[in-house]
Amino acid sequence: MISPEPTGGDRPVQAYDLMILGGGPAGLTAAIYAGRARVQTRVLGGTLPGGQPSRTAEVDNYPGFPDGVGGGELAQRFTAQAERFGAEIVPEMATEVDFSERPFRIRSARSQYRAGAVIVATGAVPRPLGIPGEEEFYGRGVSSCATCDGFFYQDREVVVVGGGDAAIDEALFLTKFARTVTVIHRRDTLRATEIYREQAFANPKIGFIWDSVVEEVLGDKTVTGVRVHNLKNGDTSMIRTDGVFVYIGMEPQSDLFVGQLELDPSGYVLSNARQHTNVPGVFVAGDVQDPNYRQVVIAAGTGAIAAMEAERYLGKYP
Amino acid sequence: MPLLDAEVKEEVARRLGTLTGPVRLVMFTQEIECEYCSETRQLVQEVADLSAHVTATVYDLVADSARADELGVDKIPAIAVIGERDYGIRFYGIPSGYEFTSLLAAMETAAAGEVDLAQATLETLSRLSTPVHMQVFVTPTCPYCPQAVVLAHKMAVASPMVQSDMISAQEFPHLAMKYQVMGVPRTVINEVTHIEGAADEPVVLEKLREALRARREEQ
Repeated sequence: MISPEPTGGDRPVQAYDLMILGGGPAGLTAAIYAGRARVQTRVLGGTLPGGQPSRTAEVDNYPGFPDGVGGGELAQRFTAQAERFGAEIVPEMATEVDFSERPFRIRSARSQYRAGAVIVATGAVPRPLGIPGEEEFYGRGVSSCATCDGFFYQDREVVVVGGGDAAIDEALFLTKFARTVTVIHRRDTLRATEIYREQAFANPKIGFIWDSVVEEVLGDKTVTGVRVHNLKNGDTSMIRTDGVFVYIGMEPQSDLFVGQLELDPSGYVLSNARQHTNVPGVFVAGDVQDPNYRQVVIAAGTGAIAAMEAERYLGKYP
Repeated sequence: MPLLDAEVKEEVARRLGTLTGPVRLVMFTQEIECEYCSETRQLVQEVADLSAHVTATVYDLVADSARADELGVDKIPAIAVIGERDYGIRFYGIPSGYEFTSLLAAMETAAAGEVDLAQATLETLSRLSTPVHMQVFVTPTCPYCPQAVVLAHKMAVASPMVQSDMISAQEFPHLAMKYQVMGVPRTVINEVTHIEGAADEPVVLEKLREALRARREEQ
């Protein structure tokens, strides 16, 4: 990693009643509620406008869309609704926070802020495999975004690592481009929802390697294969492939809050049922606090709670 | 058939209504149009129709080669987004899907003629004595890509030495091949350094400095 410059120190401080860190379903729903309550709010949207739905081809389980909705479209609708109620959404990412006293202090690469209350909704990012070759070939055959990069694999062979909803959804999406899609999963059954399993098993382009983990990504200029280890019989084999799509789950994006907020051992921000963190005035919503469900509808729900609690807090401690 | 539906037109008109200066969309196509040339031309004209601040001009890459040379345009479809002067903002390939956002952002930036970058970035850009070429490869279905494109275009506005291109990987497969693009966004700076993914401003700045160091060592 490149160490970034000291940040934000060169701009005048901007003050808001409420700062929302994260522009996914949780942060944007919080912004809709805060906007309607006329709370002066700024949303730091981060690197993925609209959050994780943006990188999902199709969302079929968000209520109100009986025919499903493109993930990108859903994200855009959230954004438009938040903007309609006056939310200022900027493509910045918090780089430093100080929650030790009020007003809370937040910095990004180009700005510094003070806020009466904060909602942490920074979400989760794809968990890397953590194996040799993965980082080296990132962008040259290793990807965690099928919607972004599927195009580059027309008539080529790819593997998808993982067996959950995201892995199978993206494997299905990749069959639009790739000649073959091989799902490599560490167990002998898929964790994915039944409807995904049915579709995957019915798709002639999709094959499976069970009980196996990928140990190394191989290649020269670009990816040429993976080394796969079978956990049941101990065998190791080489699989030829042009692309490796990694969908082994997500990890909470909470590094920034170490020492500021109470986190669980996996890094999820701890909260009570009303989305309060251990710091009064700092609330949390969405996948950064949800190790269990990680659904758009639940992220939106916790975002609404966090905003209503923040309004109440700001009323008490303006 | 219009490319933009009524709802989108309304939203674009609202956004362009806040432009603080004139913007020219200079589009290049050719007599026998390329795959996305006619759609790009239509898009540019539809957008220009939505704001009194925006004008569209269409050139032929071959017949108007002098104008193309002047703007450094060497492939089509191309759009140069020009404000009070030519800041070096280019789009190669149709700015559709997520990249339509980048086009609107580029128009806002070119109209304003100034950018909200960190002081450290502005200082480095103001000291540039040699040209910098940023090429950001994208696909229209990449939600991370506009951030990389918008940042590169802002850097172009901040310095007369910088030209920044959005390049649609699927319309220019030979360039995607040349730069080994298999994932987007991928930003190539001066042919020597590259950035995978939508990096934050300080990371891009560091890569830009690395490219400048590499050039100095070469000389």
